[in-house]
Amino acid sequence: MSEMLQKLWDNGILLLGIWETVYMTFISAFFAYLLGLPLGVLLCVTAKDGIRPIPWLNRILDILVNIFRSIPFIILMVAVLPAAKLIVGTSLGNKAMIVTLVIAAAPYVARMVESSVKEVDKGVIEAAQSMGAGPLRIITRVLIPEARPSLTVGAVISLVTILGYSAMAGTIGGGGLGMISITYGYQRFNSEVVWICVALTIIIVQLIQEAGMRIARKTDRRSA
Amino acid sequence: MIELKSISKTFKTKKGSFTALRDIDLTVNDGEIFGIIGLSGAGKSTLVRCINYLEKPTSGKVIIDGRELGSLKKKELLELRRNIGMIFQSFNLLEQRTVLKNVLFPLEIAGLEKDKAISKARELLELVGLSDKESSYPSQLSGGQKQRVAIARALASEPKYLLCDEATSALDPDTTRSILELIRRINRELGVTTVVITHDMKVIDSICDRVAVMDSSVVTEVGTVAEVFSDPKSETARKLILPELKLTDSVSGGQRIRLIFSGESSFTPVVSNLILSCGTPLNILYAKTKDIDGHAYGEMVLQLPDDERAAAKVKNYLEAHVQTYSVLDGGEDSVGNASKAVG
Repeated sequence: MSEMLQKLWDNGILLLGIWETVYMTFISAFFAYLLGLPLGVLLCVTAKDGIRPIPWLNRILDILVNIFRSIPFIILMVAVLPAAKLIVGTSLGNKAMIVTLVIAAAPYVARMVESSVKEVDKGVIEAAQSMGAGPLRIITRVLIPEARPSLTVGAVISLVTILGYSAMAGTIGGGGLGMISITYGYQRFNSEVVWICVALTIIIVQLIQEAGMRIARKTDRRSA
Repeated sequence: MIELKSISKTFKTKKGSFTALRDIDLTVNDGEIFGIIGLSGAGKSTLVRCINYLEKPTSGKVIIDGRELGSLKKKELLELRRNIGMIFQSFNLLEQRTVLKNVLFPLEIAGLEKDKAISKARELLELVGLSDKESSYPSQLSGGQKQRVAIARALASEPKYLLCDEATSALDPDTTRSILELIRRINRELGVTTVVITHDMKVIDSICDRVAVMDSSVVTEVGTVAEVFSDPKSETARKLILPELKLTDSVSGGQRIRLIFSGESSFTPVVSNLILSCGTPLNILYAKTKDIDGHAYGEMVLQLPDDERAAAKVKNYLEAHVQTYSVLDGGEDSVGNASKAVG
């Protein structure tokens, strides 16, 4: 083990990096879903073949989501820093990074949710309508519960994507494994540090993936 | 009572408009099982969806117990739908809910107290014979069991009406029979007025009181099942009632006639008597009759001898013995010809 790596470990920087990566990812994902879940449901429900078609709203949301989705994260990140300052009072550190991650991830989450909810069998929705269920009840009692397994898989994919974004946040003042591999590895020509960060990231992704998929399988009543 | 008054429905697509229903008038009386039969694409599924306004007609009126659906507010329409249960070909159960919770669903919508709702749901599961499956998930059930759950669910809000959209089309013959029996029992015991959509004459034959025949967006005839069955006026009705006849189109030889048994005594050996007294051989091409309390119901297709004199003799005999029959020509358009009814 190189001296540098030994030092990072002894100082607790590596451990902190792992923690920061995990916590930035999960907190950001939580807020991204807070925005993205309703947005995705709305995209699905207001579509032409949705349960409550509102063409103009659907068009606006669709364009908005596309705009945010088409900006590369590294550029979006810098562009929304003023917004971060407005929301959390600073444009530096993990708090600010969480804001940028949420803004970047919410439209992505919205698309994931939209595609999951679209998969819900039209016949089941029709049955609910025939029982006199209104749109709100169909959303909360039919669309979301019936799409749950697919939503869980989507959440796993979103988490992994956000984890990837969070590494980039290391370049503009965020913490975590991304920051460590850039600051202590790339900039000091220490490839060992880079590879250790890569390995740790792979392990975290594997854990999220494995746990998420297991939950999705276990809770899907179609294969019970 | 369900009244449909000159209902039309046009769908607008990118390629232009498509008329699914054209000027349809129908009345479904309280307490009856009303069948709507037609080949696929005839518009019957659209028509049944107009009854609960899942599909809003382009023009015309749907009146249920005197209330015109088009004039109702959204909330009133949702409430009215609770009075009209519906079951589907693909069952449409909530896959992530247990059987019991599926039946509870409409009661949740109606806002019933949980205790009451659960005992009501259990009662219904008992009615459909699935008490032991209440904590199973739909994926663990057979098609017939799924449809039973769907029926229990449709009845949970104690509807006055039940709409069945090809409810037995995905089931095997034995299961179909038991589901039809259940529908009939519900109609008799609970007095639920039922509308049945199907492409299968057997369904109409076994449970319906009256039937409407649909073809390319219009209703071609309406009547009691016995009337339509014994003397189908429209070509569609004939096609649906005698689907097997198509197979015999290529048969060469004499004229074919269709004998109709609509309640004569089962104990008269009609065909034997016919052959013996006319002294001519007859070929039975198709037969489907059944005995209900000593009365014969059904039909038979006979091929008459080539010899015209012998054929005339047979017809005379039938007329003399008050046996309803119609002549089916041996040509291409066999089922579309004029029929002659006697008696």
